[in-house]
Amino acid sequence: MKNLLLRAAAVLCCAGTLAFAAPAGAQEPIKIGFVGPYTGPFAVAGQSFRQGIDAYRAIHGDTAGGRKVELIYRDSAGADPTLAKRLAEELVVKDKVAMLGGFYLSPEVAAAAPVANAAKTPLFIVNAATPALMKMSPLFLRMGQAINQPAELAASYARQSGKSKGYVAVADYGPGHLVEQAFMARFAGEGGQMVGNVRIPLNTADFAPFAERIANADPDVLQIFLPPGAASVGFSKALAARGLTKKIMIIGQGEAEDSDLPLFDDSIVGFKSIIYIDANATNPENAALSDWLKKNAGANARPNSFNIGAFDAMHLAYKMLADQAGKPFNGEAAVKALEGYSFKSPRGPVTIDPATRELVQNFYLREVVKGEDGVKRNKVIKTWERVQPVAMK
Amino acid sequence: MSALAFILLYGISYGLVLCLIALGLVITMGLMRIVNLAHGAFAAMGGYLAITLMQQQGWPYAPAVAAAVVGVAAIGVLTERLLYVRLYQRPELDQVLVTIGFNFVVIGVFTLLFGPNVLSITLPPALKGNVDLGFREFEVYRLMTAAICVGVIGVLWWIFERTLVGAKLRAAVDNRTMAQAMGINVPLLLSATFALGCALAALGGALGAPMLPMEPMWPLKYLVLVLVVVALSGHGQVRASVGVAMIVGIAETAGRYLFPQFGAFFIYLLLIALMVWRQDGLFVPRRAAGVA
Repeated sequence: MKNLLLRAAAVLCCAGTLAFAAPAGAQEPIKIGFVGPYTGPFAVAGQSFRQGIDAYRAIHGDTAGGRKVELIYRDSAGADPTLAKRLAEELVVKDKVAMLGGFYLSPEVAAAAPVANAAKTPLFIVNAATPALMKMSPLFLRMGQAINQPAELAASYARQSGKSKGYVAVADYGPGHLVEQAFMARFAGEGGQMVGNVRIPLNTADFAPFAERIANADPDVLQIFLPPGAASVGFSKALAARGLTKKIMIIGQGEAEDSDLPLFDDSIVGFKSIIYIDANATNPENAALSDWLKKNAGANARPNSFNIGAFDAMHLAYKMLADQAGKPFNGEAAVKALEGYSFKSPRGPVTIDPATRELVQNFYLREVVKGEDGVKRNKVIKTWERVQPVAMK
Repeated sequence: MSALAFILLYGISYGLVLCLIALGLVITMGLMRIVNLAHGAFAAMGGYLAITLMQQQGWPYAPAVAAAVVGVAAIGVLTERLLYVRLYQRPELDQVLVTIGFNFVVIGVFTLLFGPNVLSITLPPALKGNVDLGFREFEVYRLMTAAICVGVIGVLWWIFERTLVGAKLRAAVDNRTMAQAMGINVPLLLSATFALGCALAALGGALGAPMLPMEPMWPLKYLVLVLVVVALSGHGQVRASVGVAMIVGIAETAGRYLFPQFGAFFIYLLLIALMVWRQDGLFVPRRAAGVA
């Protein structure tokens, strides 16, 4: 009898241990893989990705849905879609990540799409902005923009400002061509006249010939789209040397973010740009991010589209984990549950558009001004609130 | 007419900066017969050093550029004594591998020290803005750079063609053993030549910084342009390289201005055509080329 009692106690104990073991299994850390250009020519973007993630984790902790969140970074280095795909595969197969994120260039996202689809892994597109990408996987969530959005806003704004002779100068690669088409179609559609356009090869060292061409066409508004860094700095200098910066309205996108403004000389003052973030916004989310960046990432670090994109990707990752707390992570269900979800981002209020899985977000027209302290910054002069993404046909 | 003026003015000023950077490589690669693909690294060091002196030590523009040139020449001698001296007798592929590897090390160091972004140079107020040439406006900076390039090229020509040092160098290159037998200190001469090559690269890098902005990838980004000039000049053709650099500068500018869509290929078409036509160098006389 005593023996039986002991046995019963032993069985109960074991059962108890098992019962406790199940939630203990759920406490296992969950991994998120981030593929980005942490070295090489686009390293500024990759490092900003990391800043955004580090900032989010510093502010909101490193657990979500009762599980510890681990980040794994893989370096996509330059412009190599096959490498990005391989890294995504390794992250899913070897490291067993529950979500993927990052990706600087559109071809990298396109290459990684089959991986996300096969493994049912949600994938946050932090920067890549080709509109058609969103058709490649139902697991994609875009933290940036579709590239045609700011170009169309720029064309409309130019027309409303009374500009009638348009010119487009874009870097000669996929996204550049999309900006060119979008601006030209909208500008002509609203009654303006396009006086020219030029595609600038990515290997251009001396931008003077392009500035000369633009000046000779005599436009009153110029839409530009170039990768940030050396190309943007070189082109803006060439435009200034040809006297164009003072003479005509120049509208870009992400060429002269606040974190990059120290690279430019004062001829950049007056440059306008349209993008979905305002580095100097005073909302609490942006203030917290800005503070963290200044303290931890250097005096020149500011919120930019890359670190805000990664910051928001982390927010959605944590939200998905919280939604699925206590269950094995199901990527498809997690993405589905986010449709229509609204939250406060450093960029302002955003909603995930159920039709496109892109963000309904504000777009800001900013102008570079120089303050009395001699510091240049982007000042918002117009806001388009809650711009609806347009579904791809 | 205005298009022609633009192409000539900008093409020549661009070509002169290329020439300055390429001249150093023509000297080290052509005269010393070493495939020095790390040449761009020395040019970028010049640019970075000049900017650092200006931004962090508050030096004025001219002394900062001069100090950068001297500093990089010193680094060049050090590198030559420690690294390149082991490469002189090695096959060309080894030289290529080591010097390309050296580029990557330098790129890594730049990223570590200065971050991955562009580093801009601030020109003194006197060099900013435009000057009216009568028929059109032109940038003061480009005018100044062109003038310095012309001066430096003139001095080099004088050294090589009119001085004893130049004669010794030419002798050492033509027949090293014989030159040594005549009592010429060839290793010293080679170190000095390498230092000169590095100094020219640094001057080109620092002067060209507003045109070719400094970034960690600089050593590889502009290597192709410089190699085009060297390839078209032929081995050790210092005089020819000046003419070739002008042609490359003008072709680049004209190509990008007149046919922007094809601008990036223009220079390669030129390279292929000229290499097929004159593979020993553009201005090498046919008969001399035949003998060599």
